[in-house]
Amino acid sequence: MLLLAVLAACLLPLCLASSDSDYAKLKQLAAAGNGLIKLDEHSYNILTAPNRNWSATVQFTALDNKRRCTPCRDFDPSFNTVAKAWSTVPAPERDSHFFGTLDFDNGMATFQKLGIQSAPIVRIFPATDGPRRPASGVTTPISYDLTYGYEPGPLAEQLSKYTPVPIPYKAPFDWGRVGTFAAAALVLVTTLRFISPVLRSRWTWAIGTVLTCLVMTSGHMFVRIRGMPMSGPNGQWIAPGFQNQFGQEVQVVAMMYGLLALAFFMLTTVIPYQTSPQRQRVQVYLWSFVIFIMFSVLVSCFRVKNRGYPFRLFL
Amino acid sequence: MAVAYSLPSDVSPATVTNTRSLLRIIALALISGAAIASRLFAVINFESIIHEFDPWFNYRATRVLASEGFYEFWNWFDPTAWYPLGRVVGGTIYPGLMATSGVIYNVLHALHLPVDIRNICVLLAPGFSALTAWSTYMFTKEMKDESAGLLAAAFIGIVPGYISRSVAGSYDNEAIAIFLLMFTFFCWIKALKTGSALFGTLAALFYFYMVAAWGGYAFITNMIPLHSLALILMGRYSSRLYVAYSSWYAIGTLASMQVPFVGFQPVRTSEHMAALGVFGLLQIVAFAELVRTHVSSKQFQSLLYASVIGMGILGAGAIIGLTYKGWIAPWTGRFYSLWDTGYAKIHIPIIASVSEHQPTAWPSFFMDLHSLVFLFPAGVVMCFRQLRDEHVFVIIYAVVASYFAGVMVRLMLTLTPVVCVAAAIAFSSLLDTYIEPTEPDVADDSSGKIAETAPAVDAASSGSSTAVSASSSTAKKTKKAPTAPPSVSAVAAAMTPSKKGEKPRGIFGLDTRFIVLLNAVGMLLFFVLHCTWVTSTAYSSPSVVLASQNPDGSQHIIDDFREAYYWLRQNTPENSVVMSWWDYGYQIAGMADRATLVDNNTWNNTHIATVGKAMSSSEEVAYPILRKHDVDYVLIIFGGLLGYSGDDINKFLWMVRIAQGVWPDEIQEPNYFTPKGEYKVDDMASPTMKNSLMYKMSYYRFPELFGTSQAIDRVRGQQIPKAGTTLDYLDEAFTSENWIVRIYQVKKEDILGRDLKSANAFAQGKKRKRTKPPVRRKATV
Amino acid sequence: MRSFWSLLASVVGLATLLVQAKSSSGDSVLVLLDPSLKRDDFSIFFSGLEEKGYDLTFRSPKDEEPVVIKDDYPQFSHVIIFAPETKSFPKDITPQSLVDLLSKDTNLLLALSPKQTPLTSLASEFSLITPPPGTPLVSHFPERDTPATVIPVNVSHTSPILTPGLPPVWFSGVPFALGTNPLLVPILNAPPESFATDSLGDSDADVVIEASEKGGEGLWAGSQLGLVAGFQPAGGARATWVGGVELFSDEFATKEVSSGVKSGNEQFAADIASWTFQESLVLRVDSIDHHRLNETAPREHYTTNDQIVFTTHISRYNPKTSAWEPYSGIQDLQLEFTMLDPHIRTALPPVPGKPGAYSVTFRAPDRHGVFKFVVDHKRRGWTHLHSSTVIPLVPPRHDEYPRFLSAAWPYYTGAISTSIGFIIFSALWLGGSESKKGKGSKVE
Repeated sequence: MLLLAVLAACLLPLCLASSDSDYAKLKQLAAAGNGLIKLDEHSYNILTAPNRNWSATVQFTALDNKRRCTPCRDFDPSFNTVAKAWSTVPAPERDSHFFGTLDFDNGMATFQKLGIQSAPIVRIFPATDGPRRPASGVTTPISYDLTYGYEPGPLAEQLSKYTPVPIPYKAPFDWGRVGTFAAAALVLVTTLRFISPVLRSRWTWAIGTVLTCLVMTSGHMFVRIRGMPMSGPNGQWIAPGFQNQFGQEVQVVAMMYGLLALAFFMLTTVIPYQTSPQRQRVQVYLWSFVIFIMFSVLVSCFRVKNRGYPFRLFL
Repeated sequence: MAVAYSLPSDVSPATVTNTRSLLRIIALALISGAAIASRLFAVINFESIIHEFDPWFNYRATRVLASEGFYEFWNWFDPTAWYPLGRVVGGTIYPGLMATSGVIYNVLHALHLPVDIRNICVLLAPGFSALTAWSTYMFTKEMKDESAGLLAAAFIGIVPGYISRSVAGSYDNEAIAIFLLMFTFFCWIKALKTGSALFGTLAALFYFYMVAAWGGYAFITNMIPLHSLALILMGRYSSRLYVAYSSWYAIGTLASMQVPFVGFQPVRTSEHMAALGVFGLLQIVAFAELVRTHVSSKQFQSLLYASVIGMGILGAGAIIGLTYKGWIAPWTGRFYSLWDTGYAKIHIPIIASVSEHQPTAWPSFFMDLHSLVFLFPAGVVMCFRQLRDEHVFVIIYAVVASYFAGVMVRLMLTLTPVVCVAAAIAFSSLLDTYIEPTEPDVADDSSGKIAETAPAVDAASSGSSTAVSASSSTAKKTKKAPTAPPSVSAVAAAMTPSKKGEKPRGIFGLDTRFIVLLNAVGMLLFFVLHCTWVTSTAYSSPSVVLASQNPDGSQHIIDDFREAYYWLRQNTPENSVVMSWWDYGYQIAGMADRATLVDNNTWNNTHIATVGKAMSSSEEVAYPILRKHDVDYVLIIFGGLLGYSGDDINKFLWMVRIAQGVWPDEIQEPNYFTPKGEYKVDDMASPTMKNSLMYKMSYYRFPELFGTSQAIDRVRGQQIPKAGTTLDYLDEAFTSENWIVRIYQVKKEDILGRDLKSANAFAQGKKRKRTKPPVRRKATV
Repeated sequence: MRSFWSLLASVVGLATLLVQAKSSSGDSVLVLLDPSLKRDDFSIFFSGLEEKGYDLTFRSPKDEEPVVIKDDYPQFSHVIIFAPETKSFPKDITPQSLVDLLSKDTNLLLALSPKQTPLTSLASEFSLITPPPGTPLVSHFPERDTPATVIPVNVSHTSPILTPGLPPVWFSGVPFALGTNPLLVPILNAPPESFATDSLGDSDADVVIEASEKGGEGLWAGSQLGLVAGFQPAGGARATWVGGVELFSDEFATKEVSSGVKSGNEQFAADIASWTFQESLVLRVDSIDHHRLNETAPREHYTTNDQIVFTTHISRYNPKTSAWEPYSGIQDLQLEFTMLDPHIRTALPPVPGKPGAYSVTFRAPDRHGVFKFVVDHKRRGWTHLHSSTVIPLVPPRHDEYPRFLSAAWPYYTGAISTSIGFIIFSALWLGGSESKKGKGSKVE
């Protein structure tokens, strides 16, 4: 205990001094990289010093192309924008929280020390002493949950929980989108008198409606919400499992539905207008055949998805 | 005139009509019978038991209603739910379902038929499915004719998409809601066609019943205004529309506000603003029409229309403004998650965690609708052929419902009726065409025949003349002269003949008829087979009782849940509190009759997060939470031994997420993954995971079961470390036969005031290291 | 002079004790007495107990019978363990089984000794921290003829357990440091100038200090060290730890602390025993009663903002008559009305004129839920009082809300005027002539 006291006594001024100089260093580093510190081993250790009265947000990433980390490259810009937004807040708050990026190639040792296997990862290092030490006393790094998405909006919103003041991030006004909308509207208005017959024709609407129904009933929303790939690895287009599907299945299934619907439609409404018995007969047989084949194809697809399905048609 | 086959000609028309109606009645009766019978698989395979989760609460509430009367039910405060917050049940539920079965119960008992309330609850859904079939028949009759109606009734009677929510025992709001939905729509269509305030009022009354029965009433609330708006835009405003809508909206809204749970929402929340706005718009349009009948000057009319549109826009702007000012509540989260599909996962994990809120993949569409799923677009096109007002309704319904069904599995339920209707229209018109005996002559002299053979056609031509003018501004002008249809394509031209009998119409020969009909009948047969199979295998298991196949193929019942719940009921004090994840709250309340912390009515995020925190943090952290909430027992579901995949370890990440939402600096999801970012329970698992209460409780003494061999979790397919987990703050109280349910008792504080860990160590005779007296003086050097 | 009075007081105390008094929790006592100790050496203490009406069963730690706990059921209501020498007890007496006895409402009176015995390790479970083995308490003050390990200790006059005005008591044995456990009740503390050491000579006192400094344990010295400490486990049983058996011996009881003043050991021992055996300072909650204001019958649930009257009856055990008597002496009793957290915490004063009754009237919070009336009174030495009654607090019934609101008059008038207008309009419409009808339609 005594020994400890002595140690502390002689160490205290020293480490204070060091942290001061480090603090200055960090400040100017941050200023240099307008809000973002490009970290290496050394500066990382400074930034995450055990006795820091500042907090920090560090992004562990691997931007080098040879690492082939696509998410890293997707995520990096939004992290930078948030850091930049942070650099605009008044100095006292700004200098009590730092944003840093540690690239794998600059800090392999750190990556290994932390046992980081995947990138990108964002960790928040709370202040360990000084006024901004968290009340709960928990100063272990907090990992940011990337399931919130890679967009800067949620990132800033989440990180604001740990910064002295909320990060003043505002989504940039998307002029491009607005312009396109305006142009489209303009075109629409100008060509209204020409396309109005098309708009007024029930069949335009009919086609639209039917297409919507087909696409929806073949699981388009599933693919969109779950962000399913177009087709699986090794080029399989039909996903295994009942509650699962690839993007390609939507098209195929929708096509089959559409064809079947079309066949019924023809049989019901078009064929009766055929004046010559022979042609009519040929068409009737043709469409009946189409229905039968497509339906059995559909059922076989369903069997692939749902193993236990007992029924089957031709195939 | 040529006929493919000859009909008996010596039958008087009266006989024909009588026989037809008789057959219709018989058919409806048979359909109802089939609808009820196919829903009894659950009762036959298992027993007359209430199914999965929510039904247990409805059943419990119904018992209260039946035993203590309506007023007591209305004022029922349930102290055992959401302990210690309690739940004001009367004001937080849709009482329609309970009231319905309560009325049935009382009527039966007034007739001295002493039927158990449970049987009423179990058989309510099948009974109402028969009514649904009937109302679908009425609805489709308005769309096309009786034959289509019968087909639609048959479809909805046995289609799995509806059976999934209405098998015997699934005593849930949807059981009666679909009937109400269809009947409200029927009344609305009827009111719209006849323009009678009577049917408008009927629609309003059934709307009220719907509001009292199901939260999905918002679908009607937005569907009917949408229809009316579409009609107005199509320039089909008529006094019929005005009368129907006004009577429906005024009475329906006032009535719906009588439901305590709804209260003032109809005038305060955005879900209902569409109805209000359309109501306002209708008044404006009506006023404009009135004025227009009195003055007749083109400029004035155009100005009038401009002002009408302007006022409409103003109204919409006002509503939006009010929303921003906060006088109108914005979309609720659940509703909003329908539009912004990523919304729920980020902001309301509780909603995202519900399995039936997941998006729908195509196999489940096919599973639930089978061949109807591709007959349905054909039927929609048929509706476009003769675009009468009610057809517009079906079309809009089709689009909206198919979108919603794609977003959420559970909304398949709302899609199913319209699919049945549209498919029935398509199918019956197919049959019409091919059963019709008359053959067209190659020559062209069969106008009279067409008039009677194909009523659809002249209906279409009459409808078409109005439909083509699909714009409000020129509606009146075009009404005068039946304009030629726009030439989109030859096919379209064939489908909307501008003059009757311009072309012959019909099928030549018998074989063609035969092949098509054979095809059709075969398809129907297949449909029936499919429905029966799906119902019996997929949708008839009451998830309270599980079934598995013995090696010899015989059925083996796994009854762990009830075993455990009855253990609680028999062996624990009346007033003990049980903590479990919210899925099992209703079942514990219903079967074990014990107080629960959280249940399936997920209204209090913080309380659920508290449970999530207790489950996902270490014993030392969890114990004070448990004591503070007076928890006596903790119940968890563990499928590792049997391979029951719906267990708590698989739901664990949701607990973590929900807890993280409230305590972001104490619970962090990444800590529960391995450094590689995998979710593991074997010895690779992260320390946080291994120390979490849920993990410890799940695998407590699990390896012992395997003796010397390696313990394997059959759900995760991972090996459990032999060391096993230790519990200091909980005692294992009960573990069911197949280990699916495990119940732990929370220890009381130690009598010597030690922390339970060291107390445990002492009881096991471990030596504790000598402690030193608290140093009061600084060491003097 | 004063001492004489105290002597007289003690004698009077003895006289009163002679009136048969028993414990509130039974009177069968098992005494575990080391063979090394003669029973006659403690005759005063034991006979005092027997006079009170306890029936003592003596047993040597060596022999198996009679067992203290059989079939999980305690055989005696009090156990005294005077076994300073015993290294190994029979299997029915283990630290675990002793704690088990406490949980089964059996009282313990335990004596420690400089030797390392199983009891020493048990003491640490009671958060008593014993010095290393073989270090008795030593004090060289005041000057006296007895060895340095036999010390006169002044009795604190604040502890409610001891009869006031006791002369100093002789003590010989080990001290122990008191942990931070709130269940501990310090009864007798070591004199400030005393310390614990294994070397008795004065010469090497510095060695002692050195050792203690190196050990980092601080000095085993001073008045923070306890000599006799009570312990109140949850559940009402009581345990008392005594640093040395000799405290109870006849020798110390008769020994004079100063010329003409007999030591307080006898009375002190009797006080300790009577506290340990739940004669003195024993309280209990007789009944809990709650009802609405101006009502008498309790309800199974109350409505938010009700005026609730809560009453509890507390009685105290009187060893003289061995009966429970209503007790209004508690001045700082509190009632909490809690759901998760106390929504209301208020004083629960005694009702004047109603002995033993404590009552308060309060307004229920405007928050429905499952609440608890909690009375929790923990004072050192006194029995811990804890009672908790669950009561749901429900919102008003549908017919308990005001029926007509003055604020709603605009709506009332609107509704009424509309309906009147409708009646008039339809009357005109039906009964009126053409012209009126036109006007009517305009109105519409």
